[in-house]
Amino acid sequence: MRPQIILRYVGLVLLFNALFLLISCAISGFNSDSAFFPLLYTALISALFGVFPLIFVPPTTEISNKEGFTIVILSWLLSCLVGVIPYIMWGGEFTFTNAWFESVSGFTTTGSSIITNIEVLPLGLLFWRSATHWIGGIGIIIFVLAVLPHMGKPGMILYRTEMSSLAVDNFRYRSQKTMQILLVIYVGLTAIETVSLLFCGMNLFDAITHSFATIATGGFSPKNASIGYYKSAAVEVVVIVFMILSGIHFGLLFAALSGRISELWKSATVRYYLVALAAGVIAITLSVHGSQFSSWVDGLRYAAFQLVSLGTSTGFATTDSSIWPPFAQLVMIFFTLQCACAGSTSGGIKVDRMVLFWKAVVKRIKKMQHPAAVLKVKIDTVAVDDDVLEVNILFISFYIVIVFLSALSLTALGVDILSAFSGSAATMGNVGPGFGTVGSMSNFSQIPDAGKWILTATMLLGRLEIFGLILFLTVKSWK
Amino acid sequence: MGLRTKILCGFLILTMMLAVAGVWSVYELTTVGTSVQKLLDDNYKSISAGKMMIEALEREDSAVLLLLSGKWEQGRSIIESGDDLFQKGFAIARDNVTIPGESAYVDTIGARYKAYKDLWIKPIVDTSKEGNLDWYFQEVHKAFLDVKLSVEKLVALNDQTMYQTASDLKNRAHRAIMPGVIAILAALIFTVIFNFLTNYYVVSPIIRTTRGIQHFMETGELPAIQVESEDELFDLVSSIQRLVARVRTAEPSK
Repeated sequence: MRPQIILRYVGLVLLFNALFLLISCAISGFNSDSAFFPLLYTALISALFGVFPLIFVPPTTEISNKEGFTIVILSWLLSCLVGVIPYIMWGGEFTFTNAWFESVSGFTTTGSSIITNIEVLPLGLLFWRSATHWIGGIGIIIFVLAVLPHMGKPGMILYRTEMSSLAVDNFRYRSQKTMQILLVIYVGLTAIETVSLLFCGMNLFDAITHSFATIATGGFSPKNASIGYYKSAAVEVVVIVFMILSGIHFGLLFAALSGRISELWKSATVRYYLVALAAGVIAITLSVHGSQFSSWVDGLRYAAFQLVSLGTSTGFATTDSSIWPPFAQLVMIFFTLQCACAGSTSGGIKVDRMVLFWKAVVKRIKKMQHPAAVLKVKIDTVAVDDDVLEVNILFISFYIVIVFLSALSLTALGVDILSAFSGSAATMGNVGPGFGTVGSMSNFSQIPDAGKWILTATMLLGRLEIFGLILFLTVKSWK
Repeated sequence: MGLRTKILCGFLILTMMLAVAGVWSVYELTTVGTSVQKLLDDNYKSISAGKMMIEALEREDSAVLLLLSGKWEQGRSIIESGDDLFQKGFAIARDNVTIPGESAYVDTIGARYKAYKDLWIKPIVDTSKEGNLDWYFQEVHKAFLDVKLSVEKLVALNDQTMYQTASDLKNRAHRAIMPGVIAILAALIFTVIFNFLTNYYVVSPIIRTTRGIQHFMETGELPAIQVESEDELFDLVSSIQRLVARVRTAEPSK
């Protein structure tokens, strides 16, 4: 492995972060707020660290898989570390642990927060907080590769390492074209949502920051009461629509936008995703009607928002769902674990794996009924290898084990069982809020520091789809 | 890019990291100093003026009781010194309006004190008011409490602002320290990277070249010397390779 090559490519990511830090700094300067210097200095440090390897290390035409893998993981970790600096320099509630939690939560698009009063933060810092979502949402490396000129083979290796293998399947193009599609959809959705929110009466700053958080399925809001602050059905509808869209594979969205709308419904994954969301909304509406909301319209309105928010791993809120009946909470915990489609900005186990899982269950039952039968699991007429099924089930099992271990560690630190389990599931799935003391209208500030480090580890494990981080930690033993 | 420029860039970056942090720390520390002075000037002065007024009011209240009991001389002396002290405190508070809304508090104190003073400025000893405790409780003491409450509100406002300013100062002190801490950490990491890159792209090629020349002198064969960068070292190695080639072509003709 060549450290100098890793430095060069990680440097590009740092330069990219510096660009967003400078934009945040400009906003801070425009508003004469106290985050100006912390943002400026972080931008400077990030840019200098990014530029220096470019001066020394000449471009290369070859990078190994091991190097590509290390570049991707280090890019995430270093971006999170750079994200910490403006927070700790600004002070307030940000100790190093809190700043790390907020930064990792931002870049991994989790949206869990430790801030008790978000509205006292300067606008520049709030913008940076939302920008971390936007940078992390599409994947830092993908963003950099899509923006930079074609980088040849190294670019392809980085692209394959960063993209989930599940996500690559629905793209029928070469890596550069795919990245351009991703970027167009990502920026396009953000722009359209911003304009829509402006039409709903939101100011420009709030519209941009909420759009960043929606399209990245992050969930950071510049308001303490999240989307509930606006008390506007129109805003909620816009956000729901864009949360659902952001949870669909971007390749399918591109196909739909190119006039092939039927491809959306032809996809078993998208069908399952939409039907599951609709069923979840109906179940929760039935559960909260009467006990929480006297009218059906209110019940549907809040149930739809809260469920879509968790089911797409966004994490916005319009009400405190931690006081809802246990049935509604359990339905939402299921969606917190499942989340949306691969190839979107969503986290969690992902609908694609759930579809495979259910099909594998059906196949096993049929196999038990007809032992001699030769059965194949198919997704959209494509036969799935048994090896893929095995990896899928292994992933889901490992995912649940990690959530359990994280919850177990939190309970050992004195956190109650509901908060510990839902908090672990919410951070592992990059969803954001859980239930109990970490509910949609509260935050993670009361979690002990050790617990915050555990939760940030689960955020990174979830974002890098478990094996990514484990492989990075064992990179020396690779053959 | 030449070697000199590359190395210069490294040192410039290191200097920039430390210099910007240093300048900002100095700026923040200067602001902290100014804020402390401002805190003392703006709030502490008003708080001590408020305490002065409360002390004066309590003296005046005692003096009114002395007048009510017929002790004119002692009562008058205390009430006049109390009035002097109050006026002194009030003047300080009036000239030191620094917080939004503070002016309204000062005006209320002035108006209420005037109403209070109107009650005791007129003769009490040898009048129907002497020994009249009902008059004292219903009018004088009530007016005294009104003024005292207004002064206490002014003190509370300044207390609150002083607390806020002190919290801001804590944040400013934090912001003055943090650039230094971050700069030191960043400079340390940068030094490691700088050292690694100069070692990899400058020192190692020189060592490889030296060994190559030594090898050539011993065996007459020049091994391949790898230089990744296109700088002076690349030119040097190319020159050596050309020199070796020329020496080789020159040798048979000897």
